[in-house]
Amino acid sequence: MTENKSLNQKIAELDEKTEWFYSEDFKLEEAPEKYKEAIALAEDAKKDLEELKNEIEVLAQDFTK
Amino acid sequence: MENEVFTPTDFVSVVNQTLDYAYPSVLVAGEVASFKVNQGKWVFFDIKDEETSVPCFMSVYQLRVPLEDGMKVVVRGTPKLTKWGKFSFTVNAVKPMGEGSLKKAFELLKKKLGDEGLFDPAKKRPLPKDLIKLGVISSTQAAGYADFIKILNARWGGIKVQVAHTQVQGMDAPDQIIRALNYFNERGDVQVIAILRGGGSADDLSCFNDEALTRAIAASKIPVITGIGHEVDESLADLAADVRASTPSNAAEMLTPDRGAIKENINNTVIRIKNLVISKIDARVRDDAEKLNTIRDLILTKLDQLESQLTQRIKVLEAMNPEKVLRQGYAILSGKVSPGSVVKITTYDKEINAEIKDVYDRK
Repeated sequence: MTENKSLNQKIAELDEKTEWFYSEDFKLEEAPEKYKEAIALAEDAKKDLEELKNEIEVLAQDFTK
Repeated sequence: MENEVFTPTDFVSVVNQTLDYAYPSVLVAGEVASFKVNQGKWVFFDIKDEETSVPCFMSVYQLRVPLEDGMKVVVRGTPKLTKWGKFSFTVNAVKPMGEGSLKKAFELLKKKLGDEGLFDPAKKRPLPKDLIKLGVISSTQAAGYADFIKILNARWGGIKVQVAHTQVQGMDAPDQIIRALNYFNERGDVQVIAILRGGGSADDLSCFNDEALTRAIAASKIPVITGIGHEVDESLADLAADVRASTPSNAAEMLTPDRGAIKENINNTVIRIKNLVISKIDARVRDDAEKLNTIRDLILTKLDQLESQLTQRIKVLEAMNPEKVLRQGYAILSGKVSPGSVVKITTYDKEINAEIKDVYDRK
């Protein structure tokens, strides 16, 4: 599911998942699964960061005239 | 042509054609004298050295820097003979020359445009946070442009960059940059425009003090960031821009987040979660151990109480044991106690049958 999300969405989702660990909803029994999800999301976001490339186009327009 | 007879009009026309052919564009450097503006439209001045003076003419529209008598300038134009037979130099561009004249022109124009509110800080717009479409105006051969692209690619990705290649120094640079600004503004499909040029001399950078360019930057519908020269170089283009970066590299830094810093932040987040979970597990283990200790202490206390009670009862029972009394020398008499009857006397180690002779009260 994560491959269709933008990098910013992934980072925002990681922030949300991190907040759960600090919230009153935290349950130790659920923590391992949530931790695995956070790790997967973090790795995915880092991969996106590595692969992001800029697209540079020099315009054909002649600005000398 | 020696015997050819011209009318004055034809003669002037032929001379002008010859001048056009021989000198289509001439640069003349000298000192401004007799500067004046007629009817708010036409500019007249002489450009001179110690021996000679050349009369110059141009339109106000083409005069892009403030002029004063005594300023050193380079003018570009074409020589011409007027219909009154006077020589004139028709100027299409003027550029101050030398440190003093450049500074003078800069200060005069800075005051003029500042008074008009072109540099008003309240009009400055922030850079977009999520940059995906960027317009760049620079020379693609310039070192400053290469620095910008290198830093941009290292820091971030996913940006569609449209580059308008223009000159970034010389008399033609301002108009080319203005055309590029107009191009981006007419299409409106970039979020910000970056005008870039690496370091250079005051003369190299003087095109960024052009009045028309400064006005075009201030009027841009799309926010403009400038990265021109070095930290110490301040141009009117910088003052009119929404954001001024000190160099082209600094412009790339201001426009983009640093992917390295974001990766580090993600790593730190994961480590923080891991440490948090470990600390919560430790807390749970400590909590459970404390509960077990409390239960154990309760059980031990209860056992102690029971043991104490049992010991007490044993002592009572032991105290009541007849054998213990017999061992102390006492005896148990059983049977009817009356004279002549036989009773059983039990001692510690004997049982005795005895006949009662007499019974009387002790007290």
